[in-house]
Amino acid sequence: MIEPYNKLVKLAARAFYDDLTSKGDNQPKTGRSDNRGIAVVVLDALTRRQWVREEDLAKDLKLHTKQLRRTLRFFEEEKIITRDHRRETAKGAKIYSAAVAATADAATGKEGEEKVKLHTHSYCCLDYAQIYDVVRYRLHRMKHKLKDELENKNTVQEYICINCGKRYNALDALRLISFEDEDFHCERCNGKLEVESDKFAAQDGGDGGDGDENARRRRREKLKDMLQKMEVQLKPLIDQLGRVKDLPVPEFGTLQAWEARASAAGRAANGENSGDSKSHLGYNGAPMPYSGDTKVIVDFNGTEGKGEGVKSETDSTSLKVLPPWMITSGMNLTKEQRGEVKQEIKMDGTSTSTAAQYTDEKKSTIVHDDKNIQDEYIKAYYAALLKKQHEMEEAAKNPQDGNGADDPSSSTSNRQVGIKTKREEDDDGTEWEEAPVRGNGGYKVDLNVEAVAPAEDEDDEDDVDWEEG
Amino acid sequence: MFFHIVLERNMQLHPRYFGRNLRDNLVSKLMKDVEGTCSGRHGFVVAVTGIENVGKGIIRDGTGFVTFPVKYQCVVFRPFKGEILESVVTMVNKMGFFAEAGPVQVFVSNHLIPDDMEFQSGDMPNYTTSDGSVKIQKDSEVRLKIIGTRVDATEIFCIGTIKDDFLGVINDPAAV
Repeated sequence: MIEPYNKLVKLAARAFYDDLTSKGDNQPKTGRSDNRGIAVVVLDALTRRQWVREEDLAKDLKLHTKQLRRTLRFFEEEKIITRDHRRETAKGAKIYSAAVAATADAATGKEGEEKVKLHTHSYCCLDYAQIYDVVRYRLHRMKHKLKDELENKNTVQEYICINCGKRYNALDALRLISFEDEDFHCERCNGKLEVESDKFAAQDGGDGGDGDENARRRRREKLKDMLQKMEVQLKPLIDQLGRVKDLPVPEFGTLQAWEARASAAGRAANGENSGDSKSHLGYNGAPMPYSGDTKVIVDFNGTEGKGEGVKSETDSTSLKVLPPWMITSGMNLTKEQRGEVKQEIKMDGTSTSTAAQYTDEKKSTIVHDDKNIQDEYIKAYYAALLKKQHEMEEAAKNPQDGNGADDPSSSTSNRQVGIKTKREEDDDGTEWEEAPVRGNGGYKVDLNVEAVAPAEDEDDEDDVDWEEG
Repeated sequence: MFFHIVLERNMQLHPRYFGRNLRDNLVSKLMKDVEGTCSGRHGFVVAVTGIENVGKGIIRDGTGFVTFPVKYQCVVFRPFKGEILESVVTMVNKMGFFAEAGPVQVFVSNHLIPDDMEFQSGDMPNYTTSDGSVKIQKDSEVRLKIIGTRVDATEIFCIGTIKDDFLGVINDPAAV
């Protein structure tokens, strides 16, 4: 969603700010101080970030902060970025760092912890809504100006007396008409006045009536050429504007709002779903300096959850550091599938719907979970009766199932979802893609797992939407 | 653009008007004096619409004339840059044409006339399109846009253009 806008920014940067120099014009341009193109680099870098501290940006771009600031100030004046300055301690900076860490594509490193005193930090961010308007306005003005000039609109005609060289303009016209003939006559010498072509033509070196005509024609051609060139060269930009027109504008809000949301989203992505809304509220409700330490909040979540919270957290951590475990669970599940293909079709109807529509709430998925688990047990019994081999597989699967059964029985089922998402987080992408393909197939357990994963995914997306809306 | 504003003026009245009709005489003299004048500040006074109040008169030494400070409401017309006006052409020459929009004179120079209109000299000088369908001559009604004003203390003069959308002849006198 943000991608077309980023492209717009990049195009606009190359179109309008390519040869921008941040140095004043009075300074001589040596090879070293020639910093054209910096503006484009800065804008490109900003398209990959949301709110960014200017020192961090400078470090990333290997620019001097002063130089970067100058460029940023220019863009602020151009209404392309919004900036925020605030005095803050290291703690305040940490909030920002946490927020940065939470955003997926922020590549800035964490730093600023070493600062102890109050410092004024500046942050900047692209203002997409405004960029869209600014670019459109700029194009409109360019076109308008060229067209006006081309058609000699709004130019006050000038007249010159051939005899005495006195000049008049059209505003004097009323005094200049003589009653002997229809021409304009000089007030001083009563000589005939001639039309003097516009200044540009004069600059071109047009002299006398004939030269004037030529100069004017040349001028017109030049303008026409420029207009055509503009239309050709700015076509990609205009196209991009058209493409972006109906898209919702990515909006990061103010720095504070963005930080709050970003860190909340970050925690949500880390799988702490149950405490998410509460902690989010807590974060918002607390004043900035108070909520400085993110670690406190994490602890808060863990203790607040329940008795099993500790366990689940350790689980989740162990899960995270032990990908092999995850892989084996996946294998178990696929084995399970073979056994349970047929009877689960009814279940599939519901679970596929959750997978396909992504609209299911967590609770309903958990209900499904319960049913599925029960069914699994029944199935397992049948299977145990039928085949020894199945039993073996069942045994292999049991510990995992037991884990799954634990959570519903503890009746705080949200936590379970959290765990699962934690587990599924890494292979979200691939599994998620498979979901629609397998949707109608009856691979019940697999679907079940995936139904959770997309639901969580949806959750994440919800968060994002909510941020930007 | 028209405005309805309150202006003030010191009216000198001859002693012969003193009597029962003093106020009426004062008002009619005010109208005669003021309507049609132009000030650079307020524009053309089009009409006096009412008297706010008449102050105490002061008798001039030696003459017997009495000066009344009069506050009056009036409609004024002041042209602005960018304003669209409808006007009547008064004179056409090869430099362009003059038109009147009420009290204000507007000059449209020939390069602010669309390029497809050519000057035709003769008994009745005019600007005509190549196919002859549109003709600007004396007494034509023209809608124009003001692109410049010259405001003196007692005079307002404008230059206009008809080189824009929806501008130009709005009524051909030959067709009526």
